[in-house]
Amino acid sequence: MATLPKLSDDCDALYTQLLTAASNSEEGLKKVFFQSDVQHLAEEAAKSVADLLRLIQELQNHALLRASRLQGAICWSTRPRAAAEQIRGLNTNERTLYEYVEDAHTKGIWMKDLKKRSNIEEGKVQKAMAKLEGARLVKVIRNVRAPAQKTYMLFHLVPSDDVTGGSFFDAGDLDESLIDEVANLIVFHVRMASWDEQKMRRPRTQRSPIRLDIEEDVVAGAENNAKKRKRTADIEDSAPPPSRKHRSHRHEEHDTIMAQLAWQAYSHEYPTATGIHNFVTTTDAIRASKAQQLTVAEIQGVIDILVWDDKLEKVGNGYRTVRGVSFQPPGFVDDDDEDEEGRMEGNGLTQAPCGKCPVFDLCGEGGPVSAGNCEYFTEWLRHGR
Amino acid sequence: MAQNLAELCAILIENHLGDLSAQIFTTLAEHGRLTAPTLAAHAKIPLRRAYTGLATLLEEQLVLHHAAEEDAPTFYSVSWRNSYNLVRHANVVALVTERHGEAAGQVVENILQLGHARVGDLADAYNLTWGSKRDSGVETGANHVPEAVMVNGVAKSHATSNQHVTSASELHTILRTLLGAGILVKVGTRTLMPVSDLQEQLQEAVIVDQFPDRKVTGPKKAKEFAAAVNELKRKWQHDDAFSEISDASSRGAIKRPGEHFAPKKRAKLNGNLPNGHAINVDCEPSVSKLSHDLIVRVDFTRCTLGLRSQRLQKLAKRLLGSATGAVYGALLRALEGKVRTVRDESAETLKEEDPEKTLPSSNLNQIAEILDPTVDLSSSIRGVGTSKYLLNGTSKKGKKNRVIDNEFADIGIKQELSDSEDDEPTTNGFSSYRSHAKRVKMIEAHLLLLEEHPKAFCKRARPGSTSTEWGVDFETLTDALMQAELDTTIVAKYGSTHLRVVRLLRERGKLEEKQVASFAMMRVKDVRAVLTELQFHGLAEAQELPKDNQRQPSRTTYLWYFDPQRAESLILQQTYKAMVRTLQRIPVERENYRTVIEKAERTDIKGQEQEKLESNERHLLREWREIEERLLTQVARMDEVVALLRDCSGRNVSLAT
Repeated sequence: MATLPKLSDDCDALYTQLLTAASNSEEGLKKVFFQSDVQHLAEEAAKSVADLLRLIQELQNHALLRASRLQGAICWSTRPRAAAEQIRGLNTNERTLYEYVEDAHTKGIWMKDLKKRSNIEEGKVQKAMAKLEGARLVKVIRNVRAPAQKTYMLFHLVPSDDVTGGSFFDAGDLDESLIDEVANLIVFHVRMASWDEQKMRRPRTQRSPIRLDIEEDVVAGAENNAKKRKRTADIEDSAPPPSRKHRSHRHEEHDTIMAQLAWQAYSHEYPTATGIHNFVTTTDAIRASKAQQLTVAEIQGVIDILVWDDKLEKVGNGYRTVRGVSFQPPGFVDDDDEDEEGRMEGNGLTQAPCGKCPVFDLCGEGGPVSAGNCEYFTEWLRHGR
Repeated sequence: MAQNLAELCAILIENHLGDLSAQIFTTLAEHGRLTAPTLAAHAKIPLRRAYTGLATLLEEQLVLHHAAEEDAPTFYSVSWRNSYNLVRHANVVALVTERHGEAAGQVVENILQLGHARVGDLADAYNLTWGSKRDSGVETGANHVPEAVMVNGVAKSHATSNQHVTSASELHTILRTLLGAGILVKVGTRTLMPVSDLQEQLQEAVIVDQFPDRKVTGPKKAKEFAAAVNELKRKWQHDDAFSEISDASSRGAIKRPGEHFAPKKRAKLNGNLPNGHAINVDCEPSVSKLSHDLIVRVDFTRCTLGLRSQRLQKLAKRLLGSATGAVYGALLRALEGKVRTVRDESAETLKEEDPEKTLPSSNLNQIAEILDPTVDLSSSIRGVGTSKYLLNGTSKKGKKNRVIDNEFADIGIKQELSDSEDDEPTTNGFSSYRSHAKRVKMIEAHLLLLEEHPKAFCKRARPGSTSTEWGVDFETLTDALMQAELDTTIVAKYGSTHLRVVRLLRERGKLEEKQVASFAMMRVKDVRAVLTELQFHGLAEAQELPKDNQRQPSRTTYLWYFDPQRAESLILQQTYKAMVRTLQRIPVERENYRTVIEKAERTDIKGQEQEKLESNERHLLREWREIEERLLTQVARMDEVVALLRDCSGRNVSLAT
């Protein structure tokens, strides 16, 4: 490529003005200038349209301006000098490809699309892209939507949330443990403000080991037991289901249980999504750089999941934990799934052997499986599960 | 009709009435409505036996019959609902026992076993005579249908009768309470008629009466016609309902209308009925006793209402604590008296009227009356009562009241109510009045909690006001309850991830795989596995959206969605099947213990098992009873699922005959 003449002073002045205007604006380098804007900035340097055109053409030749189209009108945006310097050193193919990548901005562009749009042979594209990458003009990123495809983006840009999948993705991979931790943190936070927790001491005799056995046994009148329980002391009744988890803190003669007392209706402020977001981002539990990325919408997403998982419920504008939900201390291994499910204790169908039978559809009189030869029934009747 | 249900009903009938009835039932279930001779031919049994079987089935109301005219052949068809209800007996008895005591439960159990019963015969069964009046009972003209078979019923009830009820007046009090609560209803002529025939008869009556030109089509006419039919239907229902005036033994001057039976009903009753179907039972004058010839049966719709209330209360209790649950239970019971069936009126009338107005409501004092006085209301709401252990912390009383005063000022409890009455000497004294007022306020605090909850368990009868009337939007809540039942089933069968996806789909509508993954914050790969599993079990479905004409799978978008109705009916069918299997297991298990059971049933041992059986035999016997009990309880628990998914909303018509 022929070496360009040195940039004229007029052009230089205009470019500096455009660059200042762009960096002063909120969009930074993304700021676009329409013809009238440029004319306004150029003032006496370009009195006529022809003058302006000349200036712009020169800047474009020096790769300091980049032309694009917005709503039918042609417009320009600025490029940093350093980048322009490098672009000037590129050949046509590379330059075309660079412009495609530049157009894609933070979304990035697929290798496949580059080939298709530029109509350049595959080998040349690959070579050109390798060169661009080597010159640190573009970089390869991983797109969550198409992890197998190579996606290119300008080197200095940060991929958009669409591409990375948001804060909960780590290098294109879903960061499940982060989600779990954030969810747990939210439960922890919301729970503090949801119920008035009181420690209660209850004479141990009311919940003798024998009673526990009956309760845990699915046999016969689970209902009957419920009725029996109703007649006992209220304190016991107002104890939430998770009291079982606290059984380990037994005193000599008393069980300490946590009772969750309701706040009076319409008198209590439950944490809202914004409030929860505030808490999560300011807590030390999450790395500061990560916390900064988290948006209210992302936290709302986690809250939605917690609602679907029956951990939180919406009250007014805020959220509170469902009665009996407890948070898991850090490092807690969720190995007793059964206990967690115990809260949703199932119903008549799922507790019966048929409710979970893997061969239920085959079962029938005269079939390979029937009520008579059913192993699950035998198991259930003998061992209660 | 679903095969599982037919199988279930056949088993129930076989257990209840024996082989013959089960065979007839199965034949009728398979072939639809039949006359007795065709039925006998299909079932390959002699006509005489067919008639015997039908009589037994009719007695239990398991079969409906209708003859178009006097000498036309009678058609028989099965009553799915009544047949299924055989399995609900245990739950109904438990419900009645809980609410009205052991004795009432016993009475209801007996009536359930008989299908329906004449009051006089019930009294006989309990060996209770009511002076000399028994013999002078005049035969009823209207209730002739079941008369013939009642003899059998009585014989059976002798066997089951238990000495829970000791006096005639006790029996009558129980029956009266149950009738008042709607658990028992009068059996009228139309009870055993298929609904479609009844509808036809209704329409015919209306046409003859109001549309002499027989023209009932056209937009305006059709509307008028439907309205007239509905009105007549309600009138007939009313006529068939138990009424204090027509069904009490007294037709004379002494009437004691209970709180549920306002005397104004009489005017309606005497209104000119198109068909002259007035049913008045002639009988001896006797105050506050029921006529001996009154025939009663258990109203399962009413019991479903009760079961629904139980479930709602249980849910409220789980979500908001036991005290709030108890308050809610009291509200529901107060409302039950005001709601006729699960779906109160026909859908059209509901739409026309303002839904806010049709909401049945009950005021705080009624709730306070029903609520168990031992429930400690103050301890479970922060700031309402200051002490959490107490009922009678008199020392803190002043403080507590002040707290309440401040906090309730804005919700409009009239403070002067208690203040103005302070000086008047009431029978219970000043302090009890104060405590009553306080209690009412606490009840309101609990109701507010229920209202605030996202499920909106209840609401003020007039929104925005400070009225003390509270209502419950049963329709929405029942839906929520059914949803919760589905969720429970899904989470127990498949796990919480599946539930998350199902709820997501229910809330967000049709979604693509990737959208599901991003909302559920899961990997697409995992979501795909979950969705496929749900689809395999019929709980999620995918709609194909081809991008081109070739309909290549690779160029097709799949939108996933969750269809609650389909899921409900699916789980309903599974529950039927599971019930069948559980019932079928009983004889299998029985076989294992056959020797000891047979020995225990020998006449010389029966009644003296303790002495005559060896200890290991007693042990075996106990084992067998535990197994049987366990299986039966499981069936009853599955019935709860069925009750909720099928009966509570009143929308499911799969059992319509």
